Amino acid sequence: MMVIWLNSLTVLFFWSKRLSKMEKLAYFDSSHEMPLEIIMAAGVIPYKIMGDVHKSNDPADKYLSSFFCPAARSWLTEGLAHSKEWAGIIFAQGCNSTNRHYDIWKVHVETPFLHWFGAPLLESDAAKKYYRIELQRLISHLENHFNVKITSEKIREAIGKSNEIKKNLQRLCALRSQKDIPNRDYLAAMIKCLTCPMDDVLAWLDSEITSWNARPAFPSGKKRFLLTGSDVTYVEWMDTLDDCGIRIVRDDLSVGERFFATLIPDKDDPLDALREYYMNIPKPATRPTIQKRLDYLYKALGETKVDGVLSQNLKFCEPFAYDSVPVNNALKAKGYKVIHLERDFSPAADQQLANRLMAFVEMMEGAE
Amino acid sequence: MDKVKKSGNNARKIKLKTLPHAKDLKWPMLWWIGMEKIYRMLPWKKTAWTCAAFPIELMWIYDIFPDHPENMATVAAARKQSQRLIEHAESMGFSRDLCSYCKTNVGAYDTKIKKTLGGISKPDIVVCTNAICDTHWKWFQIMADKMNVPFFMFDIPKSVSGTDEKTLEGNIDYVVNQFYDLMTFIEKHTGKKMNEKRLYKVLDRSMELSNLWREIFEHRKSVPSPYSGAETSAAFFPLVVLPGVQIGINFFKNILADIKNLTAKGEGTMPKGQEKYRVMWEGIPFWYRMRFMYDLAQYGAVIAFEPYTYSFAPMKKKCLTMEETLRDVAKLIMDTPYAYNLERRIENFEKWIDEYKLDGVILHENMSCRPSSAGMVDLAEAIRRDKGIPVLILQCDMNDPRAYSEEQIKTRVEGFIELMEANKKR
Repeated sequence: MMVIWLNSLTVLFFWSKRLSKMEKLAYFDSSHEMPLEIIMAAGVIPYKIMGDVHKSNDPADKYLSSFFCPAARSWLTEGLAHSKEWAGIIFAQGCNSTNRHYDIWKVHVETPFLHWFGAPLLESDAAKKYYRIELQRLISHLENHFNVKITSEKIREAIGKSNEIKKNLQRLCALRSQKDIPNRDYLAAMIKCLTCPMDDVLAWLDSEITSWNARPAFPSGKKRFLLTGSDVTYVEWMDTLDDCGIRIVRDDLSVGERFFATLIPDKDDPLDALREYYMNIPKPATRPTIQKRLDYLYKALGETKVDGVLSQNLKFCEPFAYDSVPVNNALKAKGYKVIHLERDFSPAADQQLANRLMAFVEMMEGAE
Repeated sequence: MDKVKKSGNNARKIKLKTLPHAKDLKWPMLWWIGMEKIYRMLPWKKTAWTCAAFPIELMWIYDIFPDHPENMATVAAARKQSQRLIEHAESMGFSRDLCSYCKTNVGAYDTKIKKTLGGISKPDIVVCTNAICDTHWKWFQIMADKMNVPFFMFDIPKSVSGTDEKTLEGNIDYVVNQFYDLMTFIEKHTGKKMNEKRLYKVLDRSMELSNLWREIFEHRKSVPSPYSGAETSAAFFPLVVLPGVQIGINFFKNILADIKNLTAKGEGTMPKGQEKYRVMWEGIPFWYRMRFMYDLAQYGAVIAFEPYTYSFAPMKKKCLTMEETLRDVAKLIMDTPYAYNLERRIENFEKWIDEYKLDGVILHENMSCRPSSAGMVDLAEAIRRDKGIPVLILQCDMNDPRAYSEEQIKTRVEGFIELMEANKKR
């Protein structure tokens, strides 16, 4: 009798463990194109795949050469190792890595649910129509697979939570230019918001705003910078910037301001609201046009006084490497001090890169 | 290895036979160059920059001259100019890791190099698609902004592995709607209007051109192969910029007649009895080193099939209504062999391996074309597993000679030839 009871407990423990792990639905998104609110409305936790810079990319390198984006390879490495902990995977169309890598994931990454979300690149009426179709297709697929009903009410509720997080992030991140907020704290907050359950994040953000408000004033020895270019997904690189006397007070990254710069509008039809939001967020390099990307940068630079602009792209990140030339030229033409660099996907401090940054900061101090 | 080397040495004298009408390629080329001059001279005529997978026919329908930065980049490479143009673009800030076509074009435009060396002039409009890659639209937009020229982009949805029919229909709707946006764009910026009669006339000619190319490919299935990738890589030029005009049709008809003549006699492009290995070449050729394809003949190998030039011959047919015609064209743009998803790619490669009786496959893992290089490891594995033939993955670049290492590539090719030889003996 005792054995049966213990066995039942073991089975119960196993399933509760499995269910709690299955709650995460991972998504592959090279910017901020994934309509998270649909995932939330399906009753699962959206989890942005960001890889792990501390782990070797060897597992992914069996299928992709080293001249492919190292972040995307790291995501594949994460998928290969952890997909069984996820309820499924959704790809949102971003850069070329998404559609081509989808095919490779389909072969090698075990998952009970795989979906391609064709987020259009344009904003035309044709693109709006297509966006609606793609949203509906995603909803149907989720409903059928998870045996749930994604009602307008549930989507509205998710939009409400999403907007709360965005508002709190706006408040939190505005403190970067006023308080002593190390760069790594900002990135860690962003990563938490993109990978943890929304309810947990909401409670955590409240306490974090209080904690950041209580911090000392912006340190006098640091320079205020706007960070632009490829997404940064590991805190060590942000530490390097701090070590060089650089504080990021504004940015236009997807693991950054692009995620919370605007709110999802209040509309009768929540799908229209999502469409309007996702098609009008500040543009990354994976979406036309360069001018629209510049518009957000000018706005941010107009709102917050900075000492310089740090433009960077991850090695082999093509969209941002293309953009860096016209974007940086435009910023320089407006009189901003801009430094551009290409970085590796590595947690190790790159001393050559640090030397360049320190020289740039010294040059600024000299000019003052 | 010694044996292969020995046969390689003996084969040093092997030369691919050139088709009698191959030299006539100069006529469509001269026609195209002459047309550009006329279009630029007459104020009511317009010019555009277009890219691969863009339905070029639309430009001819609107009487707009389609210039082609990629085509001009290949000219620069063939004329040994690409490296300096690429380095010029890099001096402007473009990363070494970016597409070498793009950088050749940026360098060519900025240095105002002569047309005969790969130069290109400012157009009236810039139109492109992202059907093949993101690079196309990033590059074209950057250049349109630089030249202060109106820009239009077709956003082509991705048909990833496993895309079902219903999703495909939604994708087609999106592309068709963009055709109408393009019409509005052209009318706004050039004053030109869609002429349905001209649309069908141009499509008829385009279809005839593609048909002829496909018929040429049918004859390439013959053993020995009458026409190698070394020749098709140049001869397919009319498919790049001339679908919809007559001049390319005449050229292809003559090429086809030459091929029929050869196959009727049981002859191939290689001297009698010398064709040992029939190879597929996947990817864009090394334009700065076209001799590579001819050099394969030294080992008794011939490029009997390449999806790249085949991709340029979709059958854009006239349907009952304009809407149906546009739907058909939209479907073809999304289904270009060069941009097949992995599942379609494996399925078609294996079909072609059988049809063209291939002994091996060379996959050009092109550092300038990451979309085409993604999935090559899986593709190679599937071919080896399902077809039992060797596959060589060559990492290099289509337009940047700095990526080409003569001896390393030679060693790898010789190893590949050895494998094909051993495989034949099994």
